Amino acid sequence: MTEGLALATRDLRKSYGSRLALDGLNLSVPSGVVYGFLGPNGAGKTTTMRLLTGLIHPDAGSIELLGRPFGREDRHRLFEVGALVETPSFYPFLSGRENLRALGASGAPSSRTRIEELLELVDLADRARDKVSGYSLGMKQRLGIAAALLSDPQLLLLDEPANGLDPAGIVAMRETLRRLAASGKTVFVSSHILGEVQVMVDVVGIITAGRLVREGPIKELLSDEGIVKVRVAQDELERAVMALVPLTGPELISRSGDGWLSVRIAPQRSVEVNRALAQAGIYASAISAGSDLEGLFLELTGGEDREPAA
Amino acid sequence: MRLFLSGLRKLVRRPATFVTGGILAGLTVLIIIAIGASANQTTRPEGQAARLIITFPGAYTQILSFVLGIGGLFAVIYGAAVAGSEWNWGTLKAAVARGESRSRYMLTSFAAIGVVIAVGVLIVYGVGVVAGLIGAKIAGVSITGLGDSATLSSLPRLLARGWLGVVEEGAIGFAVATLARSQLAGIGAGIGLYFAETFARVFLPDIMKYLPFDAATAAVGGGGSFGNGGSRLVHLPADTALLVAAAWLVGSLIVVALFTERAEITG
Repeated sequence: MTEGLALATRDLRKSYGSRLALDGLNLSVPSGVVYGFLGPNGAGKTTTMRLLTGLIHPDAGSIELLGRPFGREDRHRLFEVGALVETPSFYPFLSGRENLRALGASGAPSSRTRIEELLELVDLADRARDKVSGYSLGMKQRLGIAAALLSDPQLLLLDEPANGLDPAGIVAMRETLRRLAASGKTVFVSSHILGEVQVMVDVVGIITAGRLVREGPIKELLSDEGIVKVRVAQDELERAVMALVPLTGPELISRSGDGWLSVRIAPQRSVEVNRALAQAGIYASAISAGSDLEGLFLELTGGEDREPAA
Repeated sequence: MRLFLSGLRKLVRRPATFVTGGILAGLTVLIIIAIGASANQTTRPEGQAARLIITFPGAYTQILSFVLGIGGLFAVIYGAAVAGSEWNWGTLKAAVARGESRSRYMLTSFAAIGVVIAVGVLIVYGVGVVAGLIGAKIAGVSITGLGDSATLSSLPRLLARGWLGVVEEGAIGFAVATLARSQLAGIGAGIGLYFAETFARVFLPDIMKYLPFDAATAAVGGGGSFGNGGSRLVHLPADTALLVAAAWLVGSLIVVALFTERAEITG
């Protein structure tokens, strides 16, 4: 079922007692991409991460990692997977370097050279001898990313990796993840920072109430979800709407009180919007075109924000 | 093997290892020297009893019984602290997410605890013997029995039996904290079990002699000095107690392995 896919789930279901956390989740993550896994709090993102890393087991459905089934007895599949699930987990009394060594003793073997490379990569080489109990949240997060990369995995699963990172750290992380994807690895990132996701990922999946509601290349999704805003004089608003209706239909045009009209249309069609207005003798004082992941997200999730499922 | 060695390295760096060992050694020294000081009161029965404790070669086994008796309580706490922290700090989660076998991870962690307990018992016992010599000096008791070859030759066997008993008690704490998935809850429940058994054995000696702490104490023969409860109490014969202690040890580790394998790691 998963040719060309690094990760796939089919009809994945998981309940905690009477509460349904995942309700038939179907993910298809292509190989060699950065995949953004989005959803409001409590949508099932962390539950999905736990299932993908074997921390919990599904009630029904199946998982394939790197083209092969992943079940209770297939823990060795995780040797090719690196993960950062929820908060980074370390021994507070050990240094950053010692923690990586301790972690490297479990699962797939990793060399000391690799540990040093990763400490350089996440810019912790200077603090590698300090105890983790003295690290800031951002430093722990960077060490967590290093830990996920320890076995040079083909598939990287990162749960909110930008948590606690400063702007420079976020940029560095983004570049690292893009570089990994360019080298053929697959990066699966759950996040709620939509702006960050928009600039970082190739493919996006949006989950709400335990179900995938949209999945696809982000460029395609955003071109479907483009928005062009034009500003016209207040007394010309009605005529402007009439002029634009032939382009999109009335349901995709909305107005705000300050003279702005929002037209849900692909950004590259902004010239058509301008032309339609001009032909109606209306001249826009401002025009902007862009795509809006936030709009798409809110539309698909209904703007909901629940308590975490688990 | 790399997992076991890593577990050992972690325990060596762990403050709890030194705090537990340090407190145990400190208590041992304080109590034995206090016994030495009170042994000066030769006119009172307590003073006579105290002299026996610090008179070599009998002091070798008396001190060993004391170290193993109180060491059992510390082993429960230590085992619970190590197992509980794996859940609290999420380090078990991180290892499982790397594809490590859950039961192997926990069992090798416990194997490392067993080694640390062996080293700890030896060090504290050595410190206790030195304290016994100081106590004997304070009390003016002769130390001519220090080199008694019969006693010295039996010590390795007694230490090995005692080690198994203390490791079994550590396994009880380790199992309780694993079931509780918590360091604090594990330590609390482990201490509770220890004292519950200590008090309950006064009323139900025929049943309690099979329970883990009593069996561990009886495995060295004669019972420990901590919570021994008095001469009316019935203990298992040393060899039977050793088998019972081994059964508790194996049982506790099976519980740890089965529970960890089946647990949903959500913390």
